[in-house]
Amino acid sequence: MKKNLILMLMMAMVCAFGASAQSRGSLRINEVMIQNTPEGVADEYGAHVAWIEIFNTNFAPIEISSIYITNDLSKPTLYPVPLGDVKTKMPKRQHVLFFADGQPKKGTFHTNFVLTPGQENVIAIYDADGITLIDKVVVPATLLPGQSYARKADGSNDWEIRDGSEELYITPGSANKIKDENHKIKDFANNDARGFGLTGMAMGIVFSALLVLCLSFYALSKIGSLVSRLNKLRAHGAPAEAKVRDVTQDTGEEIAAIAMALHDHFDAHDQESTVLTINKVRRAYSPWSSKIYNLRQVPDRTPRR
Amino acid sequence: MDFISQNLSQFWSLTGFANAEWGNIIMLLVGLFFIWLAIKKNFEPMLLVPIGFGILIGNVPFNTEAGLEIGIYEEGSVLNILYNGVSAGWYPPLIFLGIGAMTDFSALIANPKLMLIGAAAQFGIFGAYMVALALGFAPDQAGAIAIIGGADGPTAIFLSSKLAPNLMGAIAVSAYSYMALVPVIQPPLMRLFTTKKERLIKMKPARAVSQNEKIIFPIVGLLLTCFVVPSGLPLLGMLFFGNLLRECGVTTRLAKTASNALTDVVTILLGMTVGASTQASQFLTKETIFIFFLGFMAFIIASSSGVLFVKLFNLFLPKEKKINPLIGNAGVSAVPMSARISNNLGLEYDPSNYLLMHAMGPNVAGVIGSAVAAGVLLGFLA
Repeated sequence: MKKNLILMLMMAMVCAFGASAQSRGSLRINEVMIQNTPEGVADEYGAHVAWIEIFNTNFAPIEISSIYITNDLSKPTLYPVPLGDVKTKMPKRQHVLFFADGQPKKGTFHTNFVLTPGQENVIAIYDADGITLIDKVVVPATLLPGQSYARKADGSNDWEIRDGSEELYITPGSANKIKDENHKIKDFANNDARGFGLTGMAMGIVFSALLVLCLSFYALSKIGSLVSRLNKLRAHGAPAEAKVRDVTQDTGEEIAAIAMALHDHFDAHDQESTVLTINKVRRAYSPWSSKIYNLRQVPDRTPRR
Repeated sequence: MDFISQNLSQFWSLTGFANAEWGNIIMLLVGLFFIWLAIKKNFEPMLLVPIGFGILIGNVPFNTEAGLEIGIYEEGSVLNILYNGVSAGWYPPLIFLGIGAMTDFSALIANPKLMLIGAAAQFGIFGAYMVALALGFAPDQAGAIAIIGGADGPTAIFLSSKLAPNLMGAIAVSAYSYMALVPVIQPPLMRLFTTKKERLIKMKPARAVSQNEKIIFPIVGLLLTCFVVPSGLPLLGMLFFGNLLRECGVTTRLAKTASNALTDVVTILLGMTVGASTQASQFLTKETIFIFFLGFMAFIIASSSGVLFVKLFNLFLPKEKKINPLIGNAGVSAVPMSARISNNLGLEYDPSNYLLMHAMGPNVAGVIGSAVAAGVLLGFLA
């Protein structure tokens, strides 16, 4: 009973670890703007205020209500994301914008703090316990109006200042690097137009996978037969060096010699023709060549009326 | 009077007669041909009856602008909900669960080197990939089409739903059609690439496989193959899981359900919805003709490379361990049809040469190999 309990607890722990691996630890602060401009994104009231973009790096939805957002590390629970809003369930690999306008009564996505231009701003998100730091970023003081501080690609570790130009575009609420084509496909189309490269690599991988499996089973069958032989010997108490003779490997001559020796030793026969004829009999039958394994239906021989 | 004629005319505009196009008629004939092949010629009836009837369902013409929510591509329609298992790719892993639960891997475990034949036959996939590229398909589309060479319907559907969803209907129908035509396609190739002496090679009966080995196989098989190709997890995971249910001896009920009821239910839904997805407007295109051509090429390359690989392999094997090249075709994973063809052809040349159990080795290795190949393509191209 006790053992079962321990086992169940261990399984529960493993499941809990598995669950936490898929949880809010994968949220990232993805892009921040301190001084919004009239050209920038507006909140639902039309105000152009500072904003913080959070990105769900997971391939599963995440519920972000009850996490904390703060701009003061000494107050990790400064702004708790309220419960009860369906919009706090972030779909996989999606973004959400929080407006740092100090007016939380405007809605779930309006924080109770503001970001200050002209100085370094620390922004952090904490898990529901208010202790576990999920992500933190220090936004440089040099950020000009209309500029954002963003990760080069969603969730990446490299940051850059973006000014809204053609190359350094600002992307509130969407991917920091807009994918207009599948780079993998483009690479293959450019570098392996005839497909020899992919064929070589892929066949190599397929062969390796099955070769590894093949070798493993050779090794396993060897180990298995060794273990069963040792078990047999242990059970029968026979010496370890005893060898089991494979009688099917004996030649006809050997069998004839043994038969003659036995005949001479026991002298078991009555007067007979004294002609000894021993033919090696081939056993053609084996379950491997049996007709019953041929998947053919046995013909119905019952007479029909 | 006007009221009646107006309503009758509106009703007429909704009927199949008013909306019929040549494409629909052609596809209906294709559906009827599939049903005829299945019932009269006994070509893969479990697949071709649902697919053939699905083609009829999918090609009954109707007014698509009426918003009746009946078409397979209309979101929210019953057929669309059933089709979700194909488009989201969750029918194929369920089928693989059933395949695992009904497959005895003993032949493969007893003679592991036969796994390499299953690997060699996957060259059909990549050979077709190169031909598809030459015909102007993009790499991801070429990969989705080439998987037809794996001769594995669920794998083809799974991969095409990820790489080229727009071509999935044609790919699935092509894969299943050629699987049904394996008895027609493979024997001439097997005769072409083998000598009479080679066809008469008798292989030693394989050793008996212990229960422990059978239990270890799905576990080791899963870990080894999926560590190499994690993208094959949905298919390989379910295949080996089904096999463990079968072999462990303590989940007989689950294994029976997986191999019978569950597989039957999913086969019905898969076949019918794949058939219904071949709406003439989506299906009768130039790409479809190319796909059927490429599928044919893939089958030829796969079957030939399996046979030729055995011949090559025999060069390195001692005389008493030579492999009959007639089992090379079984490296494509059309289970158990291609193994039966090996057996029948073997019996044709020597009535005492039963190759069925030997051919089952490469045959089930082909299932694993095609799932690995699909995982590789998914990893490279998705």
